[in-house]
Amino acid sequence: MSLNAFWDFLVLGLVLGCLYAVIAIGYTLVYGVLQLLNFAHSEVFMFGAFGGLLALTVWAPAADPAGVQSVVYVVVGLLAGAAFGGAVAYGLEKVAYRPLRRRGAPRLVFLITAIGASFFLYNLAGKLFGRNSLAMPNLYENRRVLTVFGADLNITQVIIVVSAVGMMVGLDYVVNRTKLGSGIRAVAQDPEVASLMGVDIDKVVSRTFVIGGLLGGAAGFLFGVNNKVVYTMGFLPGITAFAAAVLGGIGNVRGAMLGGMLLGVVETMTVFVWGEEWRYVAGFAALVLVLMFRPTGLLGERVGRTA
Amino acid sequence: MLNKTIVRLAVPLAVGALALTGCGDGGSGDGGGDTVKIGFQGPLSGDNVQLGQNMENGVRLAIDQANASGDYDFEVEYFAADDQGLPDKAPTAAQSAISEEVIAVVGPAFSGSADASAEYYAEAGIPAVSSSATRADLTTKGYGSFLRAVPNDSAQGAGMATYLSKSTDAEKVVVVDDKTDYGVGLADVAEQSLKDAGLEVVRHSVPQKTPDYSAAARNVVGADADALIYAGYYEDAGPFATKLDEAGFEGIRMSGDGSRDMQFVELAGDSANDWLLTCACTDPTQEEATKKFAEDYEAAFNQPPGTYSAESFDVANLIIEQIAETGGADSTGEKLLEALRAVEYKGITKEFSFDDTGDFTNQTIYMYEVQDREINYLGSVDKLTAK
Repeated sequence: MSLNAFWDFLVLGLVLGCLYAVIAIGYTLVYGVLQLLNFAHSEVFMFGAFGGLLALTVWAPAADPAGVQSVVYVVVGLLAGAAFGGAVAYGLEKVAYRPLRRRGAPRLVFLITAIGASFFLYNLAGKLFGRNSLAMPNLYENRRVLTVFGADLNITQVIIVVSAVGMMVGLDYVVNRTKLGSGIRAVAQDPEVASLMGVDIDKVVSRTFVIGGLLGGAAGFLFGVNNKVVYTMGFLPGITAFAAAVLGGIGNVRGAMLGGMLLGVVETMTVFVWGEEWRYVAGFAALVLVLMFRPTGLLGERVGRTA
Repeated sequence: MLNKTIVRLAVPLAVGALALTGCGDGGSGDGGGDTVKIGFQGPLSGDNVQLGQNMENGVRLAIDQANASGDYDFEVEYFAADDQGLPDKAPTAAQSAISEEVIAVVGPAFSGSADASAEYYAEAGIPAVSSSATRADLTTKGYGSFLRAVPNDSAQGAGMATYLSKSTDAEKVVVVDDKTDYGVGLADVAEQSLKDAGLEVVRHSVPQKTPDYSAAARNVVGADADALIYAGYYEDAGPFATKLDEAGFEGIRMSGDGSRDMQFVELAGDSANDWLLTCACTDPTQEEATKKFAEDYEAAFNQPPGTYSAESFDVANLIIEQIAETGGADSTGEKLLEALRAVEYKGITKEFSFDDTGDFTNQTIYMYEVQDREINYLGSVDKLTAK
């Protein structure tokens, strides 16, 4: 257990944490405006990975792209992933949740619908794309480019960190500084008053889903590049990201980011010290421990009051 | 429970019916139009359909060739019992074969299915000869009519250890299992054999379907070993291989028949290069003795033979020959079983004979190496280490 290994694992944890954080934002935003646990978000993430894969396969990238070409491919993959994720999330809200909201269905019905939608979506993906695992096409030669505290970062890891941090900063800006953001925060704080003040609730809810979907889809693509693409890939990262959202304080955007990072690091450090079998045990033990002392999560609930 | 009760009732009936038809055929038969039925039980639908088809095609080719040859005074018919490779579907598949009055079954293909259906075949007195169920304990459970025509997982683990200790200068080996029955069984044997050969072993467990293998791969590097054995399936071996490369692991990499699939190469890409894969199966397109089989197979099914195709072909031929020895269409399951237990048969892939428990006496393991997106055949471990 050298110091070098410690830094290596910390970096791996942060990279994973970045992905968890971006997925967790999707859970927390939707919870903020609707108090709905959107369990189908893990499938939005999975569809994002397939979106990126499809775009790159249909577009048939060169066998060994390099330089500018690589950059273009990565950007195309990210955008395609985000577009797929956004589209699935939009459709999900429209088909699964909006009719229930119109009729004022009880909370439990939403939850069951979310679980049902999740089953539907991943089985659909299995049917559409096959049940074998797939690898992303080669986008670049994945060599080590950066050394931080003796830990090597390869290109994939740099791409993940840069794009995840970019997305988080962008989202934070949208939520705190734009009109759409104030709409989201207003609906989260008090939907009735918000609608009296002229906020179109349906529109805000729909856009919230799309924003969550864009981020989730892009994260799905990044996850696919880093690992593999398969129709069941959403489940574990999805449930972990959900835990991350709760850990940070569900409904709280910055909380979700913090929670995701923390869970990524805790999980990876657990693998370092005790081995892979303990990964989720430790992750969820950390969640329970935090909730015991701070039942509303690290930064507290409410999307309205960030930080 | 219900299933079992039904089978308990159904089995004597089926056996009775079998005996009756046997008599009937005997009465009317002076050779010529008499038929016997041979079944195959394995995954013919579901996630593992490819493996089932490889074997089914081998069996069908053997039957078609036997019928066309004119060497036998009986006609062989084929019956497919699909169990999807799942233990809970296996009893139903076995019952369907039993009620079709098959005289013998090639299979069950998967270890779990074999475990779940061997009892029924035993009660019905039908020999079940598997060409691919490798879990070691199947032959120690006392199933009366189960024979295994393939080296078991202990042989494979031992083969890995033999190769590492004799053909390489590895001194410390990381053995990683995937927490499945297959992976843990294989890893246990490999670990023990390596230790017996005087090598140092570090054991890791990485559960199947782990979404991200980065940390597990970094742990392997941290163990500071010069070889790795991964006991698991290709779906996980693929990403693991990529991550091992990224983490900078430079030792020898080895896995078993669970990873010996083109899917592994497709998932891992260039990271699959230099991986050594063991298998109890030969490569029929490479060995001199099986080249004709490979050509016939390709002509009949429009694809090259896959994992365990040639072995299933051999087992089917073995059964057909023994049916002829024990009276052709007059043969019964019991007579056939007795003959099979004592058989010494030279097939195209290897010599077939069974010990008292029904396990295979020939425990040869073959080695493959991945290079430039192809799985290349190296030869048997015995030959490779004999140098």
